[in-house]
Amino acid sequence: MQILPFYLLCDESGSMAGDNVDALNTTLPELHHEISTNPTVADKTRFCLIGFSTEANVLQPLVDLSDIEEVPALAAGGLTSFGNAFRTLLRCIETDVAALKAEGHEVYRPVAFFMSDGIPTDDDWPQAYKELTESRFCPKIIAFGVGDAEESTIAQVANFRAFIQQDSNVSPAAALREFASSLTRSIVRSASSIAADGGSDFTLSVEETVPGFATVSLDKL
Amino acid sequence: MTAQDGADVEQSLLTLVRKLATGGQGEVHEVGGPGELLFKRYLEPQKVDGAALAALVTLRQGLAPAEVRRLDRETAWPLCRVLDGGRVVGFLMRRAPDAMSWRTGKGDTRLIELSYLLRPPKAAWQAVPQPAPAERYALVVALVELFGWLHTLGLVVGDLSQANVLWSLDPGPAVHLLDCDGVRITGRPPVLAQADTPDWLDPKAPPGVVSIDSDRYKAALMIGRVLAQDAYATPEQPLKPLAGVLDERRAAAVGRLWGLAGGAYGTRPDLGQWRTALAGRDTIKLLAAQPAPRPVVDRSRFDGGSRRERGTISLRDTP
Repeated sequence: MQILPFYLLCDESGSMAGDNVDALNTTLPELHHEISTNPTVADKTRFCLIGFSTEANVLQPLVDLSDIEEVPALAAGGLTSFGNAFRTLLRCIETDVAALKAEGHEVYRPVAFFMSDGIPTDDDWPQAYKELTESRFCPKIIAFGVGDAEESTIAQVANFRAFIQQDSNVSPAAALREFASSLTRSIVRSASSIAADGGSDFTLSVEETVPGFATVSLDKL
Repeated sequence: MTAQDGADVEQSLLTLVRKLATGGQGEVHEVGGPGELLFKRYLEPQKVDGAALAALVTLRQGLAPAEVRRLDRETAWPLCRVLDGGRVVGFLMRRAPDAMSWRTGKGDTRLIELSYLLRPPKAAWQAVPQPAPAERYALVVALVELFGWLHTLGLVVGDLSQANVLWSLDPGPAVHLLDCDGVRITGRPPVLAQADTPDWLDPKAPPGVVSIDSDRYKAALMIGRVLAQDAYATPEQPLKPLAGVLDERRAAAVGRLWGLAGGAYGTRPDLGQWRTALAGRDTIKLLAAQPAPRPVVDRSRFDGGSRRERGTISLRDTP
């Protein structure tokens, strides 16, 4: 079977407390519902949830979403260490790809959806990012910034597509709900183009525009 | 507006109640008014072959009443075209029977697609009924009967997949074909460029070719995958039907056809052969027919009684 692994990296630093974390925790069951009730999509994708603040925690190790009935909630607190997020992601990907291959699967390049509401509080995060993107299994990274996130930082994190919340139009919480919906559609549509035997071309489907967000051009940087 | 007579309908006369789904080619809307009809509106109407769509509507109009009832029961057939300022923008169709939907834990409804027959049940879709072995067998027979009938009507189904067929067990095992605007009349162009589904491609068909034979390959996949509860089974591997679905004789006959379905393009078993195999009947090898005795020609009839010497002209190829 051809498997496409998705990693969701969510900022759960102190500034996410309240509506933002609530919005994400409310949308995760919707994402799970949409994918777990669609067997063709669930077969071909896997999902991992990483929450990061001062530390990064693998809240849900990579899993077939139709095999789980609950997931640890995001809980706000602490600083915003991008470096720990990227180091944890790299460690997960290396372990997960090996495990999937050991099960007899073939693995597409992983896809990471990264979401932050602020600026990184660790100075050395670019080093961790470099190790991630220079690794053998460098994921395609789609980055979303809400609240105080800076456009240039979000663009720096993304290597596939980047989005920044539109200031006055929507609240960060509303933007986060759109972020989760866009992620869900991305998983469903991408999986729909995957053949189990890898016999047809697969297209990663990521929307070019997401309601509540402005698309950040990666070409300019 | 009844849509029953097949006449074109102006889009401006439709009341769209709500959008039910968006697919690769169009959106499906619920339409207000009698009949609980659905409107499939194409995303790119400029690419639609309006004559091909009209031919599908006309085909239904030309069927006997009992066949129309069957077509309406077992397929979401295009009832009539929908026009906007003279351009074909979509068509009206019937809604699938209520028994072919299930309610999720959150309360929304989903169609009972074939995909739920192709793998062991999961908690996330526990509300989807699970067929007993005899019901699974009956669903496969219903699929074979439906595709066989469509072929006898001179149609090529094209995109057979886990998403285009619905099923139910209530009141009895039944199937329902969706996306019927993807069906074409043999030898004629399709309404839109042919859609294909990953995992349901015929690896031996010439690229881009859709035919009765590629239908036969995909129907074989469908039969085998439902019998084996395996979404990715192909004739390259022996078929392993679920326990209790087929008796020994049927399993042997079906297994033989499954192997043949993996053969060269143009040689796949037809739906009639599957029907025979699933019925558990032996087949009798027929000997090559003997030439019929030639009729004795009463030459006097040609010559009106007058006697002439006529030779004969050989109609056989000279060796």
